Amino acid sequence: MTSRFRRLAAGAAAAMALVTLAACGSGGGSSASSSGPVTLTFWTWLGTGPTQKLANEFTKTHPNIKVNVVNAGRSQEEYTKLDTALKAGKGAPDIAQIEYFALPQYAITQHLVNLSGTSAASVIKSKFTPAAQRQVTVNGGIYAFPQDVGPMAMFYRKDLFKKAGLKPPKTWAQYAADAAAIHKKLPQTYMGNVDPGDPGTATSLMWQAGATPFRTTGTTHVTVNLDQPAVRKWASLWSGLLEKKLVTTDTGWTASWWHGMAAGRYATWITGAWAPVSMYAAIAQTKSDWAVAPIPQWTPGAHVDAQNGGSSSAVLSSSPHKAQAIEFLEWLDSSQQGAKQLANLGLFPPTKALLNSPSWLNAPQRMLDNQKANKVLAQAGDDVAPGWQYLPYQVYANSVFADSVGHDISAGKNLIPGLQAWQKSIVSYGNSQGFSVKTGS
Amino acid sequence: MLGSRPGQRGRPGQRRNSPALTAVMTLMLIYTLLPLAWLLISSTKNTPSLFSSFGLWFGNGFHLWSNISEVFSYQNGIYLQWFGNTALYAFAGAGGSALIATLGGYSLAKYKFKGRKLLFAIVLGAISVPGTALAVPTYLLFAKWGLINTPWAVIIPSLCSPFGLYLMRVYSIDAIPDSLLEASRIDGAGELRTLRTIAMRLLAPGFVTVLLFSLVATWNNYFLPLVVLSNPRWYPLTVGLASIDAGSTGPSGGIAREVYPLVITGSLLAIIPLVVCFLFLQRFWQSGLAVGSVKQ
Repeated sequence: MTSRFRRLAAGAAAAMALVTLAACGSGGGSSASSSGPVTLTFWTWLGTGPTQKLANEFTKTHPNIKVNVVNAGRSQEEYTKLDTALKAGKGAPDIAQIEYFALPQYAITQHLVNLSGTSAASVIKSKFTPAAQRQVTVNGGIYAFPQDVGPMAMFYRKDLFKKAGLKPPKTWAQYAADAAAIHKKLPQTYMGNVDPGDPGTATSLMWQAGATPFRTTGTTHVTVNLDQPAVRKWASLWSGLLEKKLVTTDTGWTASWWHGMAAGRYATWITGAWAPVSMYAAIAQTKSDWAVAPIPQWTPGAHVDAQNGGSSSAVLSSSPHKAQAIEFLEWLDSSQQGAKQLANLGLFPPTKALLNSPSWLNAPQRMLDNQKANKVLAQAGDDVAPGWQYLPYQVYANSVFADSVGHDISAGKNLIPGLQAWQKSIVSYGNSQGFSVKTGS
Repeated sequence: MLGSRPGQRGRPGQRRNSPALTAVMTLMLIYTLLPLAWLLISSTKNTPSLFSSFGLWFGNGFHLWSNISEVFSYQNGIYLQWFGNTALYAFAGAGGSALIATLGGYSLAKYKFKGRKLLFAIVLGAISVPGTALAVPTYLLFAKWGLINTPWAVIIPSLCSPFGLYLMRVYSIDAIPDSLLEASRIDGAGELRTLRTIAMRLLAPGFVTVLLFSLVATWNNYFLPLVVLSNPRWYPLTVGLASIDAGSTGPSGGIAREVYPLVITGSLLAIIPLVVCFLFLQRFWQSGLAVGSVKQ
């Protein structure tokens, strides 16, 4: 029920994007920074309890700024609410958590405060990794504070690899070969799972393959190219694995998927650095079976990675307390105190200070049999390839992924027709929303 | 499911057993009960056993009571607040909409006035507009009136039930003989008195049917409250449970904690009042539907 609902909600959210685009230019406005005590509203799906506690700590040292933490739904649910509130001109929060793929949508419509040229921008430039900075940069402007990032890695079942006499693959060619070997040896086990409803992982893996399928010039000119060699390379690898039934096509984050994770149905899970925390909350009983290795490479010996997931926090242009909101985010996301506590809550940090701190790097990861996983994951963060862009209406594009590419995944077919169908709906939707969309090379 | 025993009323004693029908009904029964069974069984498990034991059988240990106490202690007992909100929205919304639908249906059925057919056509058209499509325009309207983030934003839209109105019109035509109304008028009763003492009584089964329909719809309403409410204090159970789930795990900065038993047990508790309502009001529901469908 929820997945259908999310798609519905996403559709509604996407429909609203048109309206917000039309309202472009009405944003901005002067920031009336009052000196009296203010209360900020912060929409986030970080746990409300711990986040509110953090915010209260901020208020202790900044008695004039109170922060009210509200869980307004996760991801697309929150975007639906946000779109509605922005359209109505009432009810939007001062600060909202926004995933990187959704950020361009709100940035180009001027709904977010552009931090470029402010002192916040120099804080972001000095404290966050270049990869994280790129994720909050849209059309030359800086629109949010990175909050957590998800450089990709390969989480794998070391017990199953051992049983099959295999080592974690270093290249995708090896990955495909191991997929056949491990399933032959352990018929209940598949190399991995391709979730038909997960555009995020699919696009991240294209990114890692060197693809740049989406390009935006200015605020209205979009180029879509899902027919480039790097995408085809990605598609042919996974089409082959799907056609040979060496990977499963279960829907992720369901009870049966977690069941499979615990039971050894999937030998690997290639995903963002945030994974161990999620795993620990669901399948801690298998903690001695898991380990992490770098993501397999297309060229032997290369170091190319991509981001998967993660999110930022942005200040809304409609907020009457922009200065205070920026002050809070600066504390929460970049100060030693705030950032460290976010990391303690399980977020994978985007700040240079934490990523280079020996105590963080050497911390044992309890979900991965106390492996010093952060070393692998920090390296993954350094390897993230530059040049990737999301669409200025990625929320909509992601919502129709399941009907095109996802359809081929479920059927275990070649992914090329699905990619063509996806491109077609991305192009026609974009044009109908006032973008000028080209299919380019 | 309903109305699958045609002719039973007219010819008692002629009940025949049809193996095919029984098989289909059994399948339907299993299809309906399996998710409930899963919910019930899963709510007795803790996280490790939830993902390591067979879904339709009990796992290690019995954790229902501790799960329930965790649900009620989550964030200082906000679950109870959500429960109360849902009850408020459901009963105010469903009661109000059943009343309005009854009054409207009765007048459309029994009074002849200009524009009656047009009004009815508009109602019929309104049935085909899904509530989800109206949520966003509703928000814009309520934002103008300053009702966003208040219970009114959920209750007022719940008061309109085109389907209920349609049902009550059809029901009124059959349930209240025109001659009865004429007799009442001849005896000197005013229209309001006729409505109160005669029509309402005859319409009671239909009223309960619409009440149940609306109750289910508002109890399960998700999208509208999701859009119009952003203060967790006013969330109904649906949005509240989804927000617990949202804070759990996933690719985008959720602070992971063991919320699965919490969400599952919370969902189980959330459906109990609906089940109870159904068991108590079921017979009205059946007779109400039958009347609309059978020409007498």
